[in-house]
Amino acid sequence: MDTLNLFPLYLSFRVASTATLVGFLFGLPVAWFLSRGRGKAVDFLDTLTNLPVVLPPTVLGYYLLVLLGRQSPLGAFLEDTWGARIVFTPTGAIIASTVVSIPYLIKAAKTAFLEINEDYLNAARLLGRNEFNIFVTIVMPIAWRGIVAGTTMSFVRALGDFGTTLMVSGSIPDKTMTMPIAIYDALQAGDKAMANLLVLIMTGIAVTVLFTINLLERKMRKG
Amino acid sequence: MLEVSIRKTFGKFTLQTSFTAEKGVLGILGSSGCGKSMTLKCIAGLQKPDSGSILLNGKPLFSSGSNLDVPSRKRNIGYVFQNYALFPHLTVSQNIAYGLGHLDRTQHKAKVASMVQRMQLSGHAHHYPFQLSGGQQQRCALARTLVTEPDLLLLDEPFSALDTHIKHLLEKELIQIIQENFDGIVLLVTHNIEEAYRICDRIMVMDQGRNLQIGAKEDIISNPVSLTAARITGCKNLFDVRVLEEHEGHVLLEAGQLVFKAQKNHTPVSRHMVAGIRAHHLRLHSGVSHKENVFECEVVEKVEGVFSTTLQVDCRGLLFQLEIAKASCPHLTGTDRGRLRLHIPMKRVFLMEPEV
Repeated sequence: MDTLNLFPLYLSFRVASTATLVGFLFGLPVAWFLSRGRGKAVDFLDTLTNLPVVLPPTVLGYYLLVLLGRQSPLGAFLEDTWGARIVFTPTGAIIASTVVSIPYLIKAAKTAFLEINEDYLNAARLLGRNEFNIFVTIVMPIAWRGIVAGTTMSFVRALGDFGTTLMVSGSIPDKTMTMPIAIYDALQAGDKAMANLLVLIMTGIAVTVLFTINLLERKMRKG
Repeated sequence: MLEVSIRKTFGKFTLQTSFTAEKGVLGILGSSGCGKSMTLKCIAGLQKPDSGSILLNGKPLFSSGSNLDVPSRKRNIGYVFQNYALFPHLTVSQNIAYGLGHLDRTQHKAKVASMVQRMQLSGHAHHYPFQLSGGQQQRCALARTLVTEPDLLLLDEPFSALDTHIKHLLEKELIQIIQENFDGIVLLVTHNIEEAYRICDRIMVMDQGRNLQIGAKEDIISNPVSLTAARITGCKNLFDVRVLEEHEGHVLLEAGQLVFKAQKNHTPVSRHMVAGIRAHHLRLHSGVSHKENVFECEVVEKVEGVFSTTLQVDCRGLLFQLEIAKASCPHLTGTDRGRLRLHIPMKRVFLMEPEV
């Protein structure tokens, strides 16, 4: 075993946290829209947000490369305007993790939102509050356990992503190598001790998170 | 004054209603799916009518002509929902304070405190809704909306989810609270004629998205304008009749083999009509009677309730349903039931045009 390189651990946490934050900011409004809206557009969006769960990670990664690579209009635009490169950078890893993990947040938040009786919202409207105010004072406090459970789930998923991240950002040591990739890398290099340590850390995190979610769900059922 | 004239289409269903309401309680009566709750939601701004206008005390809330649709939060309308919709994560006093967001803290606190006291919720100010009894929940819901001093109070089937024994108590309490704390227009939606009659001053009867009749509650009961209105207001005895003779104050009617008199009401008389009489207006006698409209009859079915007995009697082939207070029908307990006579009070019979 070489000297212990904790960069992958650090990078993974940075990527997963950012991905979860981005997912939270984009995912909550989408989940709210999906829970209240009706029609074809809503069904389409619902399907689209669930796609990353079903698609093979490599397929998802391929799509992202097509969409954001240097040859794509969007990728070229980003590079020409801000000099921002996405492929083979930590930013790419963040985007890949976000796409992979956001469905879990949306699904959990949507379920929590669906359980909110429309009459609560109507009552709040008639008591003089605007929609944003109602979201903050009524919707979030009632749905928070579901949202926390979804956020945690999506964080773990982002933390553990392998395939899509590898496709988009590669495995450049000390630049884009996240934990799951480092585990694979360590195993390939025959560094069993390193692999064991990383596996242990990942397992610990996963168990803690699942335990937390279970606790929240039990409380949620009690109301 | 509330002036409503709206139209809204929902797939195959069309709501088209226009009415006015003054100070006092107006009951909107109809079976489920008749559009009564939808009417309330349109007035509150929770649903947008396709066309029409809604004016409250001269102030337009909605007008399709001038493209005006005041949002719910600015309509100053109080709404009590079917299950009260108390916010589950807020305490009683936080619930009551929710509509006072615009006031400063001291005013806020004083208002909530006085409302908590008036609604006899003093010991429960820090309790959550799930810790309250049905009555306390109702008082909390009323407090939450009355504290905002609304111009109009809407009650959407406030008793439909309750047990009978508590329902009567809450009904009384609701009437009292409204009389003591609210001096404005109240609309109450219900499918129960008894409830509407007990609580309201005026009643509007709705069916399939249209209002059939609006008027004083006594009038709604004694003079339904149509067959459907009669049915919705709980009339059990409706017969196709042929008008045999027409006199100054009454008409002679023939239904099957039965010929009886009825008072003339406002409806113009044509040859074929429908006559109705309410179950509690019919009388049964055991001895010989010299009154008009008395016929021999036989009891076909008898269902005893707690306070009244429902009877079905056969009178020359016509079946009548009667509802008789228990105390007033000791003669029905005898064995000699075959000799009973049915009295159809002439003044209680109402005539309506048949419906095609």
